[in-house]
Amino acid sequence: MAEHDKARRSFLLKSAASVGAIAGAAGGTSEANARQAPSKAGHIAPALQSTPLNDKHRAFLSDDEASTVAAIAERIMPGQPGSPGATDADVLNYIDLSLAGAYADQQEFYRQGLIGLEAFCNEKFKDSFVYLKPAQQEEALAAMEAGKATGFTWPAGQAFFNTLRTHTMEGMFSDPVYGGNKDFVGWRLVGFPGAQRLFTTADLKNKGEFTRLPIIGIQSVEKTTGRRK
Amino acid sequence: MANDKADVVIVGVGASGGIIAAELAKAGMKVIGLERGPKLSTANFQSLDELRYFQRQETRPNVKKQPVTWRPNANAKATPIAGQNNGNQVGGGTVHYGTLSWRFHEDDFKVRSSTISRYGEKAVPEGSSVIDWPLSYNELEPYYDRAEREVGISGRAGNLKGSKIAGGNVFEAPRQNEYPMPPLELDQAGMLFDEGAKKLGYHPFPSPRAINSKPYGDRPACTYCTFCQAFGCFVGAKGSINLTKVPEAEKSGNFKLVTGAMVSKVNMDSTGKATGVTYFGPDGSENRVDADIVILGGFIYDNIRLMLLSKMEKHPSGLGNASGHLGKHIMAHIGARAFAIFDNQRVNIFMGPSAQRHTVDDFNADNFDHSNLGFIRGAQISVHPADLEAGPIGTAMSLTPPPGTPRWGAAYKEFLAKYYTRFAAINAQTEHLPYAENMIDLDPNYRDMFGLPAPRMTYDWRRPDEQKRIAFLSEKLQEIGHAMGASKVWLGALSPGSPGAHHQGGARMGSDPRDSVVNSYGQVWDIPNLFVVGSATHVTMSGFNPTLTIQALAYRTAEAIATRYRKSPGSLV
Repeated sequence: MAEHDKARRSFLLKSAASVGAIAGAAGGTSEANARQAPSKAGHIAPALQSTPLNDKHRAFLSDDEASTVAAIAERIMPGQPGSPGATDADVLNYIDLSLAGAYADQQEFYRQGLIGLEAFCNEKFKDSFVYLKPAQQEEALAAMEAGKATGFTWPAGQAFFNTLRTHTMEGMFSDPVYGGNKDFVGWRLVGFPGAQRLFTTADLKNKGEFTRLPIIGIQSVEKTTGRRK
Repeated sequence: MANDKADVVIVGVGASGGIIAAELAKAGMKVIGLERGPKLSTANFQSLDELRYFQRQETRPNVKKQPVTWRPNANAKATPIAGQNNGNQVGGGTVHYGTLSWRFHEDDFKVRSSTISRYGEKAVPEGSSVIDWPLSYNELEPYYDRAEREVGISGRAGNLKGSKIAGGNVFEAPRQNEYPMPPLELDQAGMLFDEGAKKLGYHPFPSPRAINSKPYGDRPACTYCTFCQAFGCFVGAKGSINLTKVPEAEKSGNFKLVTGAMVSKVNMDSTGKATGVTYFGPDGSENRVDADIVILGGFIYDNIRLMLLSKMEKHPSGLGNASGHLGKHIMAHIGARAFAIFDNQRVNIFMGPSAQRHTVDDFNADNFDHSNLGFIRGAQISVHPADLEAGPIGTAMSLTPPPGTPRWGAAYKEFLAKYYTRFAAINAQTEHLPYAENMIDLDPNYRDMFGLPAPRMTYDWRRPDEQKRIAFLSEKLQEIGHAMGASKVWLGALSPGSPGAHHQGGARMGSDPRDSVVNSYGQVWDIPNLFVVGSATHVTMSGFNPTLTIQALAYRTAEAIATRYRKSPGSLV
């Protein structure tokens, strides 16, 4: 993450109400804008643990909402060295495209849920979710999961967490055509070979890993005929 | 506004409606079939896409547009259920089902009398509303046989004309003929389950399924791709009614199919006889079909809702509700599950036909002595993926991690990454007895996209008899898991009282109009030209999946209408 992005995000989050009107102009002058942000010790370019700020606008989510959703998904399915997680799979892209399309009826559920999460984190940790340390982010999500997070009205924190978990799994493991599971990283992680059209008797008898064919998606050109004798 | 006229109008062209349409049209009757969903073909199912079909439930009713609500008791507020079990297209649930195709046991048809004769009057649980079916297994056997042949079932007989055959289900009722196709091949989960169950002295066998184990008629053999449960088959190896019986109906020249047709009312004349139905077209228009015979072939929600919505002067509390039993005695299978993981081998559950792959029937029905157990009946125990379907999304949603492992975060990810290819689930699909308070009525708060009140289920399975049955079977599941050689075995969570799969009852058949809604042909007791078919008519549910029984009953009803009712309209009993 570039330093100016952190600063820009900090500025946008902290001063959205008062100077939101100039946010649109932030692109080329973000550092300057950041310097104008209300100062708060440790908040301008702090040693952040948040996930990288997105470098593009989204189909539905605002930039700030996108950063939060990406950070949540990464805690639910965290990437580790040699073991890709939600960011590697681009779960954010899956959720964003879904909210712009098939899940458009959940747009307000997400908006209000994210407002609830911010309220909870500001009360409990005196900071936004994206700026929390991973352990604190986990604590916040665990409180939501257990139904103990304050700050939520509708949706309830627990319901919002359950939806986020479901959508994170969908983004990890659905066909890449939906925007997640980038380069099949989710399928590679668990060993699912994808949209295979045929397994042989030998495949069924094999007690080892399935490696006869590469992983394929629904748009793969490597279609078998799908006929068995 | 379109008006049409036919001898017979069928509401819902699914597991039973499609069979009746074909049989009556072939017999020369003019039949109109009204189906609320689309007509799809194998060409529509080329995407082996778990998100679309399993997770987003494309072949099922849209729960937001056509909600069904549930509450655990009459004091609670009902809310919409998250997923519906039934289908929403020509072929109904047979398009996406896991294809388990069972004949019920002989005692499944006489739970009350067989329980009393073996264990005494007191063994029938207090508060339950168990009655016998108005027909026996023997009366239904020829129709089971016909359904197996025409739908196309793979399996291995375990009782051929009274001779027990090892390797088949030795607890099954005697059958006159072997299955039309040999069983499907076993996958690793099936092999492990087979070995484990045998070690314990049980009698495992391949589950009978409406999937071609070899080319059958003009349909090809299964490719073992695993995309069955929740999917339409991409090669047409599944005996879905849209591929088997609907083409027969269409070939007859006597069948007209109308899709996108949502029936809102059964029309009645002043004498209390049915005259046809009213339906909304896809453009929102209100249309009518006049017919001599009206057959309700929807899922139980819609059949019961229509009968309640169509109340009129002669039938003030709903059609078929003179006895007060309409909507009552609904049942659903209770699912107890154990998960087993294997450190020393891969199971690769993503291969092979989905749903319940290999079965033991030793603890189903009255196949075991219940004398000192404190409950009656049992479950079909099978091995299958986490939620019948085997993809990674379904697994992430349904494979409860072992105690001590969270369901998200680094430890969860590590668990799923290691064990997705190394797990199997063992399920007890548990019979649930009928209770009058488990019922469907009209929801006062939720309406569907057509403005009709949503069907509302009031239902809770957590009754003393059911709790004991589940506790007993949960022990068996773990015992089998260990015998399979699993590194670890644990139980999944039980539902919070909500209905599981295979909703049945609500318009139950019987021998006496005072305790039932229809006779054994599905004919409404006091409206002889109105029939209800499908699982709504089931009296008790067995631990087996209901579809083949639904289909056998449909053949029997169609035959009675074509050969007897047609000549002499009136009561068939």
